[in-house]
Amino acid sequence: MQNPDAIVIGAGIVGASVALSLTNAGFKVLVIDRGAVSSGTTGAGEGNILVSDKDPGPELTLALRSRDLWFEMQEDVGDAFELEAKGGVVVARNDDGPLMKLSSEQSLHGVTIQKLDHASLHELEPYLDQRYQSGVFYPQDAQCQPMLAAAHVIRAVVRRGGAFISQAKVTKIHVREGAVTGIETSQGSFSAPIIVNATGTWAGELAQMAGSHLPIAPRKGFILVTEPTKKYVFHKVYDSDYVANVASSDADLQTSTVVEGTRAGTILIGASRERVGFDGSMNYEILRRLAAQATSLFPILRDVQLLRAYRGFRPYAPDHLPVIGEDATVKGLWHSAGHEGAGIGLAPGSAALITDAILGREQFMDPSPFSPQRFLSMGIEKVLS
Amino acid sequence: MIIVIGAGPAGLAAAEAASRNGSDIALIDSSPRVGGQYWRNRGTVKGYRSGRADQLFSKISSAKSITHISEATVWSIEKEGDLFRVNYLQGGEESSLTAEKLILATGAYDRSLPFPGWDKPGSMTPGAAQAMLKGSGVLVGKRVVVAGTGPFLLPVATGLAESGAEIVGLYEANSPIRWLLSLHALLLNPGKFAELFYYGNLLKRFKISLKFNRAVSSFADGSATVSHINSHFMVKSQREKIVHTDVVAVGWGFLPDLTLGGIVGCAQRVDSDGTTIFAVDGEQRSSVENVWIAGEATGIGGADLSLIEGEIAGLSASSQSISPSKRFTRIRKEIFANALKRSYPIGDGWQSWPQESTTICRCEEVTMHEIRESVTELGAEDSRTAKLFTRAGMGLCQGRVCSRNVSEIVGGLTHCSVTDGERIASSNRPIASPISLGLLGDGKK
Amino acid sequence: MTERITFTFNDKEFTCESGQSIAAALIAADNRELRKTRFGNEPRSIFCGIGICFDCVVEIDGVANQRSCLVEAKQGMKVVSAT
Repeated sequence: MQNPDAIVIGAGIVGASVALSLTNAGFKVLVIDRGAVSSGTTGAGEGNILVSDKDPGPELTLALRSRDLWFEMQEDVGDAFELEAKGGVVVARNDDGPLMKLSSEQSLHGVTIQKLDHASLHELEPYLDQRYQSGVFYPQDAQCQPMLAAAHVIRAVVRRGGAFISQAKVTKIHVREGAVTGIETSQGSFSAPIIVNATGTWAGELAQMAGSHLPIAPRKGFILVTEPTKKYVFHKVYDSDYVANVASSDADLQTSTVVEGTRAGTILIGASRERVGFDGSMNYEILRRLAAQATSLFPILRDVQLLRAYRGFRPYAPDHLPVIGEDATVKGLWHSAGHEGAGIGLAPGSAALITDAILGREQFMDPSPFSPQRFLSMGIEKVLS
Repeated sequence: MIIVIGAGPAGLAAAEAASRNGSDIALIDSSPRVGGQYWRNRGTVKGYRSGRADQLFSKISSAKSITHISEATVWSIEKEGDLFRVNYLQGGEESSLTAEKLILATGAYDRSLPFPGWDKPGSMTPGAAQAMLKGSGVLVGKRVVVAGTGPFLLPVATGLAESGAEIVGLYEANSPIRWLLSLHALLLNPGKFAELFYYGNLLKRFKISLKFNRAVSSFADGSATVSHINSHFMVKSQREKIVHTDVVAVGWGFLPDLTLGGIVGCAQRVDSDGTTIFAVDGEQRSSVENVWIAGEATGIGGADLSLIEGEIAGLSASSQSISPSKRFTRIRKEIFANALKRSYPIGDGWQSWPQESTTICRCEEVTMHEIRESVTELGAEDSRTAKLFTRAGMGLCQGRVCSRNVSEIVGGLTHCSVTDGERIASSNRPIASPISLGLLGDGKK
Repeated sequence: MTERITFTFNDKEFTCESGQSIAAALIAADNRELRKTRFGNEPRSIFCGIGICFDCVVEIDGVANQRSCLVEAKQGMKVVSAT
C-alpha cells in the first residue's frame, strides 16, 4: 500500500482505534509500528476502562462516551478481547467526605453511582478489610484485555482493506507548505495527506520530526501480579486516594492501591506513579509499598504469593489531559496521544473525535480542551522540564 | 564479604577457593545440604568420580570463614551504594545479607521439548527421575524409558537401573558420528574416555541397549511411541515402535537459570547453541563490577567446567592469583563443552512434533493451536507478543519451561530466526522466587 | 534408623521416611497424580523434580501452590490437590 488515505503511526490500542474508525468511515488506512502490535504502553496495561477515577469535566465526558464505544467496538469486531463491565468499588478508610462529594458530582454528569454503607460494601467485596466503613460502586467501570483488543481491531482494519506493517521505524516525516505529505520508515516510504500520531510515550519525538512539538513525557508505573488464587476480589477495588494521585503532577513516587482479580485467576495490584524518564529498573521498595497497601485492603492476600512484577510507561501531558486533534502548526498531522493511564478507556472516544473532525462531522463533545494548540502558549522549556 | 549463591559444583569450588586466603564468605543455597542438583547429597554422593564431591564438602564444612546458609531461596537482589543486598526466604521468613561482592553459581535445569503427552503424569525430565532417586530414594517407576539428547542420559539410565528400575529403552536423538567433528576435544580431555568406559560397562551390566536417532514422539496411558528421526529431528513416519513403560524421562540438554544475574543487570549473550548465557571475562567477571558468575549460567558445560570456573571466580573475587595452568584447564574444559554442543544439537524438527491440541505452556495450558493463531491471526511476531495474546509463559514457572520453545515456534511460523534481543529479554524475571504479599509488605509472616 | 512420617493427601493417610519430599512419598506409594489443572482439569504429576516447573504444586496446611517436589513431608501435614 504505497498511497493510503491515512497513515496511523502506532499499533497500540489508541492507534488501532483511530485506524478502525477511519476505515469504517471509508478511508484506506495504513498502520505502522516500530515494533509489533501492542508492544508499547498497551502491552503493559491492565485494560482499565474507567469512569470512576475522573472528576467532572472534559475527560469524564470523553470517558463516558468512550466506554460505550468500547461495547460498540466489540459488536463491530467480535467478542474476543474479554471486555467485561465488572464494575469498580472505591473505598474510603477514614474520612469518606471527599469521595461522597466527588461521586455526587459525578452522578450529575452521567456517571451511575451507588453509595455503599458497611453492609452493602462488604456484601460486594466480602474479603475487604472490615475497617472500611463505606464506599461507592461504579457499575460502568469496565475492563478488557488491551493487547488482544488492539490485535483484533487491527485485524479488522486489515480485513476491511487496510494494511499493517510492523517493525517499521519512522525516520522522517515530509512536510510541504505546512502540511504533511508522507513518511519514510525503515520499511519504505509512504505518502498520505493524513498522518495520525498515536505513538504514546514517543509522541513528542514524532511531533518533533514534523517540526512541531508536543510535551509528552513518560510516567513509570509498576504492576504486581500474584499467583492464581481462589476468587477473593470481585471488582476493581481501589482506595479513594488513587484519584488524587492520578491528577497529581508531583515527580516523586506515589503509590495508591488498586486491586483486581483477572479471568486467569491472578490478582493485579497497582499503581505507582513516578517521573523518572525511561529508566526501566526495578524498585523493590515500590513493590513492598504496593504489597502493604493491597494487604491492608484485603488481609486475605497476605498469604498469596507475588509471582511477577512489570513496569510500563504512561504517556502524559503537563495538564494530564490527552492530546487529541490536528497539530497546532502542521496541517494533516493529527495527534491522539498522552492519555496517561487512561489510554485503553479513552481510545475509541479519541478516535471518534479525530474521525469526525477530519470528516467535518458533528462531534459528540467540544474537543478544544484536548487540542494540541493549548501548548502553544507554554514555553517549551517549561513543558519539558 | 563475598556472597556465593548456589552450592553446586561451581558455587562450592568458588567458596572453597575464596576461603583459602581467609575471605569471609556466605554460601547461600535452597537445599538443606550442599551439592546442588548434580551432586544431590543425601548424606552420601553416588556416581562417577563422586569422591571429588566428598572432598569438596569436607573442605567447605571445615573452612572457618565460610557460613553456609541452607534452605534459603533468594527472591531479589538490590544495589545499596557499593553493596549488594541479597533478599532471601528461609523458613517462611524474609532475611537479607549485604556484601561488596557476589558470585552467582545458580546452575541449570533440564530443557524440555513438547510432544503429545509430555504433560501427562509419568512424563518427566531425566533430572526429575534422578532427583527423586538421589534426593528421596524413590524410583519414579518400575519400567522407565530414558530419552532425549546428551551425555546426562547415561548417569540417569544407569543410576535408575542400579536402583532396580527396568530401563525399557535408552534413546539418544543424535548420532554418535557427530563426535567425529570434535576429535580434538576428546584428545585434549582423555579423562573422558575413562568416563565413557565407566558408563559403557554399566550399560552392559544392566543389559541396556543405547539406540541412536530416536525420540519419544508421544506418550499416553503407559505406552510411548518411539520414532526414528533424522538429523534435523524430523520424524520418519513409517518407522515407529510402541514401548510399554510407566515413565518417559526425556531431556534435551540444559537451560541455565539466569534470573539473579538478570536482576543485578549482568550483560547476557547468546551462546553457539542458542542458549542465553552471561558474558564473562577470563576471570569469570560479569559486566557488573564486583559480580562474578560461574558454572552453567556462563555456558552449559557440566560439572568439570563448572568446578574450574568456580575456582577461578573464587580466586579472582578474593584477589588471589590464578595460575596459568588453571586458565589452561578452563580452556580445555571449554573446548570439550563446545564439543558437547556440536555433538548434541537440537534440530528444529521438534517443532513438528506437537499436534494442534498439544500443550506448549504447561502452567497456563496454552496449546500449539493457540500459539499458531496468535501468529497467523493476531500478528504476534515474537514470544513477548505471543505471550501477551495467549498467556504462554505467564504462569507459575514464569516461562522457565516454555519461553524458549515459544520463541522458536513463533520464529518457525514467521520464518524469522529468533533474535538475540528476544532470547535475552525473555529471561527477565524481577521476582526470582514467589514471595507472599504479607512478607513483602511488612516483613511479618 | 530413619523416622517414619505420617501425613494426609486428599484426606488419605500416607507414610514415608523423614527427609523425603511429599512428591517422592506419594509416587513411592504409587500415587502419581498430584493435581488437576485449572482450565482443562487434566491430571499432573512431578515434571522437573527440582522446583523449576511448578507442575507438582499442592496445598500444604492451607497454603496454596507449594512445590511438593521441594517440601519435605512432615508429621501431620495436611496436603490437598489444588482446586
